[in-house]
Amino acid sequence: MNEGTRFLIVSLGGESYAMPITRLLEIAVPQAIKKDANLTEVFEGKFEFRGKWVPVLNIKKILQLPGKPGTALLVVNSAKGVLGILVDAVTEIIDTAQKAVPVPKGVMNPTTLQYFGGILRYRDELILLLNEDGLLP
Amino acid sequence: MKSSYLLFLLAERLFGVKLVGAIEILPWRPSRRVPLSYSYVEGLLDYRGTVYPVHNLVQRLGLGKSGPIGFAAGRNESASKGQSIILLEENSVPFGIVVDSVMRMMSLEEPVTAPEKVRGVDPKYVRGFSYEEDQEIMILDFERLLHAD
Repeated sequence: MNEGTRFLIVSLGGESYAMPITRLLEIAVPQAIKKDANLTEVFEGKFEFRGKWVPVLNIKKILQLPGKPGTALLVVNSAKGVLGILVDAVTEIIDTAQKAVPVPKGVMNPTTLQYFGGILRYRDELILLLNEDGLLP
Repeated sequence: MKSSYLLFLLAERLFGVKLVGAIEILPWRPSRRVPLSYSYVEGLLDYRGTVYPVHNLVQRLGLGKSGPIGFAAGRNESASKGQSIILLEENSVPFGIVVDSVMRMMSLEEPVTAPEKVRGVDPKYVRGFSYEEDQEIMILDFERLLHAD
């Protein structure tokens, strides 16, 4: 019996981040991303997923990480609808019983705190859990 | 009434922090950087099951030389060699501070209220001064330091 939660570990700018796998619909290769002038600059464009147009988020722009947009595309179900998120790489899937520790107070301003769902321990490092529901305004 | 303080050096000045609860002193080590964090936050450190935000006090107090700051600027790890990280608590909230060197623990009288002007440091972060053997020890107000303006 496993009571754990499964998380997808992804890499962004050389560091690991996690996302609950229950929200993942697909991992795709980003191709045929079309520019869309109606989307804000945090989006790379949109792409067709299962017959619908889905916005593709360059999460590095939101997190102010340097570097090019990622080359792996996560298609996730967020509270604001289906969303594509570009990451550098998908590292692995972990199964863990740990509960995410909240990001301590005084680390960042409350507006940006909503991008993170907390902190997880993974191997010998701390990783940030992304909050797919908080990424979009 | 005397209380225990831990004295440390930062930018060639002597500082003190009142000891409440457990403390740990570690050689400097890299923390897990956090995007979008305040420029004076080096990152998060996992130590014995607790996650500590590590504050770079030189930057927080504005004592340092100006230079690239923030997450994107990266960190000059060689500059951190020889520094220490003190892990402590304020109102049961764990946090860490980066200091140049840890001097010693000592028992001090309650600090004398800080004057309105404190050389080089925002007085709102200073609880007061203590004196020991003609040395001025600046006692910091971590409750204020930990809460961003």
